[in-house]
Amino acid sequence: MAYSEKVIEHYNNPRNVGSLDKKDPNVGTGLVGAPECGDVMKLQMKVNPATRVIEEAKFKTFGCGSAIASSSLATEWVKGKTVEEALAIKNTDIVRELALPPVKIHCSVLAEDAIKAALSDWKTKQGEEVNAAETKSAAH
Amino acid sequence: MSMTQTSSATAPGTKCWSCGKIADGHFCAACGKIQPLPRGTSYFAFFALPEKLQIDPEALEQQFHKLSWKLHPDNFMRADEFERNLSLERSSELNDAYRALRDPLTRVEYLLAHKGMRKEGAAKQQAPPELLEEVFELNESLDELREARAAGEDLAALRASLESAEQDFQEKLAGVDAELDQVRTEWDAAIEANATESDLSKVMARMNEILNRRSYIRNLVVSVAKELADA
Repeated sequence: MAYSEKVIEHYNNPRNVGSLDKKDPNVGTGLVGAPECGDVMKLQMKVNPATRVIEEAKFKTFGCGSAIASSSLATEWVKGKTVEEALAIKNTDIVRELALPPVKIHCSVLAEDAIKAALSDWKTKQGEEVNAAETKSAAH
Repeated sequence: MSMTQTSSATAPGTKCWSCGKIADGHFCAACGKIQPLPRGTSYFAFFALPEKLQIDPEALEQQFHKLSWKLHPDNFMRADEFERNLSLERSSELNDAYRALRDPLTRVEYLLAHKGMRKEGAAKQQAPPELLEEVFELNESLDELREARAAGEDLAALRASLESAEQDFQEKLAGVDAELDQVRTEWDAAIEANATESDLSKVMARMNEILNRRSYIRNLVVSVAKELADA
């Protein structure tokens, strides 16, 4: 199976690889995995508590090209968005943007789950109620 | 293992489409015509095996050869279209069934998928956070070794760390496989004892959890082996 050009581009030039200080109260960390393929993905976001704007996003993914591209794209997309806007990102948006084939859809699900996990971690740190629907698994 | 407790491919009491007698298995005992399979027939039933996880590989292979020969489309060249199609379908299913059951690991995966316990993407497969943390850290240490090599650091020392990482991962994999063996035995005993659906589901949930863990560890084993091959 061939990767789409966009996947290859993100894979060769991943954006925002790295990590943020996990202990920073403004940093939310999401660590998720896909047992079907054994991929693990860590996504971190630094959110301004006053404006609720995501100022920084970093990821580290151990997995296939599609998982790396999905998380790279996710960090690009969330930057500059508010928490609520970022939570509205759907895995299907990632599938469309990266032209992922059906067997790689779980990579986009992983990225959506990582965004949600990171933001619910941030909310918990901020002492906010975490909406149960947000922690629920992503739609397919 | 016992091969006496069998479940046949067709549901008991299914009537042969051709002669109307009660047909059992792939062929009607009365008229010998090939029979359609009911939807959702498991690969175990395909081989007239109970849904147990310990299967005698030689008996399975023999059964596979016997069935391939019996179901082969060459035997149906002069039959009508309905039978020719059945033979084609059944031959291809036979190959799928054999592939799935031949390997002890894919056999477990197949059982869970067949029982609706392991749907790709559908039912969320989430690993416990501690496991994810551990796997992530192990991957990171592997990454550090990779970077050290790229920076041209002491290759002998690097090789030693990789080898010790490999040994560590192999031991973890062996540990998971031992757990899987244990739960396989439990499953077979539960089937033997006609355990309740809820008891069977509990065993399957454990199998599923072990398989999930296994896939992370197997990936680590593969990555470290790749690094060692390059080192």
